[in-house]
Amino acid sequence: MRSKIAEILINKMSAESKIFADKYADLIVLINQILKEKQYNQKKLAEKLEKRPSEINRWLTGEHNFTLRSIAKLEAELGESLIEVPVRKLSEKFELSSGKVTIHTYRNVSDNNLERNSWIRINKPTLRLANVG
Amino acid sequence: MNIFELKIWDDERKKCTFYTVHVDGNSENETDRFFYRYADEKNDFHEESNIILRLVLENIGNKYGATDDFFDRHKNEAQALPPKPKKRIPEIEEIGIHFPLRLYCYRISESIAVLFNGGYKDNRTDQESKEISLKFYEAQQFAKKISKAIEDGTILVDLDNRTLLNFDGKKEIILY
Repeated sequence: MRSKIAEILINKMSAESKIFADKYADLIVLINQILKEKQYNQKKLAEKLEKRPSEINRWLTGEHNFTLRSIAKLEAELGESLIEVPVRKLSEKFELSSGKVTIHTYRNVSDNNLERNSWIRINKPTLRLANVG
Repeated sequence: MNIFELKIWDDERKKCTFYTVHVDGNSENETDRFFYRYADEKNDFHEESNIILRLVLENIGNKYGATDDFFDRHKNEAQALPPKPKKRIPEIEEIGIHFPLRLYCYRISESIAVLFNGGYKDNRTDQESKEISLKFYEAQQFAKKISKAIEDGTILVDLDNRTLLNFDGKKEIILY
């Protein structure tokens, strides 16, 4: 059984809202896990930052948006990665395929006593033949 | 307080079943009333209510369950969503602290939670907020009655099936 209004709203929801909610939840869980492992409290944080506990308390009741800068600061404090940016794989069409390369070159053959203005196509040999002579 | 029914709001999630309360005489249950209020895309808090909905259904309902991570805004008996991380690091406080909406809820276990109503928080405390002070009070009353009913056996908690039952084994639960 599902709430009808919830179903309608979920189906119409923007991708942005979904992503924000999902990442927020993941971040909450991860941060809580790290704090628990490290047994952090205000006093310990104040010592670490060389600040007075009262100042930390003011920070805790401050109001400003969570920014990339804040995340960076948090990661530095906790010594843990909170957000990772995926590394993008190179597009396959730019990768050189393994194997032999055939190079086509063209030169004017007049200097070689060949017919003027004739062009020959030279293929760079890709396989050396054994000297059987 | 009026008579109300404790009924299923969503039982199709993988980790948590959600109940709600339906007050006698009202056309909608309390949680639907909350989401209907912000359903119009032109509403100032439409996106925020969507975020809470996604948090509830997907992250609590399907992914994590009703864990301590999400139910830590203790408001007497009832709790409020969205959650905020523990108050230990300054930047952590920023997550959720400025979120304008509150949806009240009562966690029975990590697999069963009851959702109530809520609204826009326009003051330092819920009790002082014009829109949600009444909703806050009602949530407390609902939570207290449900808690007492579980304690005295009026409501049976079936954790294996993630359901609540009336003491006589029936699914209909009416509280006074």
